[in-house]
Amino acid sequence: MRIMYRRLAGYLLAVALIAAITAGFSALRAILDATLVALLLLIPVGISTAAWGLGPGITAGVCAFLSFNYFFIRPYYTFTVHRSSDLVVLLVFLIVGVVISQLVGRARAAVQAASAREREATQLYELSTSLAGLHDDEAILRTVAEQLQAALAWEFLEIRLAGSTGLSVRLPAGSRLPFRPAELVIPIQGVRAALGQVRLWRMSPSASVREGQLLRTFASQAGLALERASLTQAESRARLLEESDRFKSSLLSSVSHELRTPLATIKASSSSLRSGEISWESPARADLLAAIDDEADHLNMLVGNLLDMSRIESGALKPQRKWNVLTEVIESVLARMRHVVEDHQLVLDIPEEMPLVPVDFVQMEQVFTNLISNSIKFAPPKTVVRVQARVGSDSMAEVQVSNQGPPVPAEHLERIFDKFYRVTAADRVTGTGLGLSICKGIIEAHGGSIWAENLSDGFAFNFTLPLRRDGTLPPTPPGETEVA
Amino acid sequence: MKNSTHILVIDDEPQILRALRTILTAKNFRVSTASRGEEGLALAAATLPDLIILDLGLPDMDGIEVCSRLREWTRCPIVVLSVRDSEREKVAALDKGADDYLTKPFGIDELMARVRVALRHATPPRDPEVTAVRAGSLVIDLAWHTVTRDGEVVKLTATEFNLLAYLAANRGRVLTHQSILTHVWGPEDADHTEYLRVYMRQLRKKLEADPEKPRHILTEPGIGYRFISESQDDVARTD
Repeated sequence: MRIMYRRLAGYLLAVALIAAITAGFSALRAILDATLVALLLLIPVGISTAAWGLGPGITAGVCAFLSFNYFFIRPYYTFTVHRSSDLVVLLVFLIVGVVISQLVGRARAAVQAASAREREATQLYELSTSLAGLHDDEAILRTVAEQLQAALAWEFLEIRLAGSTGLSVRLPAGSRLPFRPAELVIPIQGVRAALGQVRLWRMSPSASVREGQLLRTFASQAGLALERASLTQAESRARLLEESDRFKSSLLSSVSHELRTPLATIKASSSSLRSGEISWESPARADLLAAIDDEADHLNMLVGNLLDMSRIESGALKPQRKWNVLTEVIESVLARMRHVVEDHQLVLDIPEEMPLVPVDFVQMEQVFTNLISNSIKFAPPKTVVRVQARVGSDSMAEVQVSNQGPPVPAEHLERIFDKFYRVTAADRVTGTGLGLSICKGIIEAHGGSIWAENLSDGFAFNFTLPLRRDGTLPPTPPGETEVA
Repeated sequence: MKNSTHILVIDDEPQILRALRTILTAKNFRVSTASRGEEGLALAAATLPDLIILDLGLPDMDGIEVCSRLREWTRCPIVVLSVRDSEREKVAALDKGADDYLTKPFGIDELMARVRVALRHATPPRDPEVTAVRAGSLVIDLAWHTVTRDGEVVKLTATEFNLLAYLAANRGRVLTHQSILTHVWGPEDADHTEYLRVYMRQLRKKLEADPEKPRHILTEPGIGYRFISESQDDVARTD
């Protein structure tokens, strides 16, 4: 609407300019030559074209021609022309007026087009720079919407993605869309299919060619950005799959070796027992039976670790955090590991006032099983393996499993929690190289951290666990007095 | 053990059935086996076993379902078998009426201990005259709401007594956290396992000779608690 007014104003101003100049010259008619007037009248024609465009310019030319004829060609105040020379002057004036208008108008249009192109180029540049780093569909849509706001005038805008997500962004944010259909609908085209569409509601229904083009350019930029984002996602998924594949093959090779060791013991022991060559009374018989029993437990632990590892890898390790007594968890582990720990002296050092900790019972069992079995594996027999716990800073529980084994070289301390990482040569100490990385996975899933350190007289695993669940400590039951 | 004691084993793995049949027969039990849920239910109804060992992973129906169908008509003790990491399943089975559970793989000592406890406590029509439970030096009088230890009255709060009474009335059985909380505190407090921790600590301090190594109020790690009236050695877990 505003553009219409401005255009109309251009015409009126052009006419007014000619009228004013005509009025001025007609007062001086006596002293001015008609040819000079004709030349002077060409000036406002040029000005009108330059200032208000081709239409007002030509209008000014026609008006100047008419007023020249009416006011300055004898007989005055009529459109009749007596002298043929005047007719020639008039014709030349008309032609020159129109030509000037056209030339000036074309130059003006060229300047306008150039500046519009420059503006569009700037807008597109801004759009593409702000889209460059985005990998998230919603952020992309929001950026496109905001840039469109700067580029075009509209009331409401909605960008909606096709497909199951149905993601949409609208501006002004949170507004209700009008009931009427959108005035402008532009699809966002991807390489294979339409990705979505941009809908614009505005007052003036018709969009100029330029606006239409700009919108389409924006939409295609949005399409490119969306496709790039989905490609990036697909790529990182592929990389994850590749990594998990590599993990699985190293797991398989590690595990098949590890599982065979206890199986070999069991097979050898049980077949020699069945052979009948070992007498019932022989101590070898008891040894073989104990070996079968121990190795079966060992196998069970390996399988437990495998299960946990695959859960950690697939991201399915979600701790069922409940309020538990730490001592209870450790006691349950020790009861199960009775045979394994009997060569060492196990000391439990947990204060009685230790608060409840929000942990997954089964997962914490696995953590203690792995840490204790690791401690026992490296520490010489008869030495002390100590499990300590206390309340640390920032409402965290601090737990330490220490042994009197040899120190671990500093360069390994960081890496012993990595998968398949072994400090010693694989043939000296058995293990999948998974136990500690499982501990790390479980502790981190609980919101704690785990590290290893060398002590003055041994080696220790440390970990922390939050004492709060969802920011709160365990509620205490309502107090009461003893009645019975 | 009388050799007439009849145990029904419901498990779909032939190796487990074979091993259990061998072991239990050697211990003078009469053993029948079923490898499917429906078959097990039918066999239980036809033979009225003294104890049922039920695997929770059955091919034709859910072990928990078998458990609740059995409980519709029999109070025969049920010991469920499950694998590690299926705490939820175990708890569900116990809440549906199973008496005890065993985690595979298990040692034979543990299996026998569980079987013995389950059989001992299987006295289906509970004698209404019996209102006192004896456990070592403890006497819990359910009617008079009194507890004595070596003849001396132990002072308990109302909640402590309710808790102890519920445990004692179900002695031998594994009670899940949820079932204890629901019975003693009410369904709205069923998730407050921390209440249980606090009260169990208090109860043990008052009733156990060594609260750190309880003989009567035993913790079933991650599952719940169990009240044992006889020697603890009977039920020590050995896996």
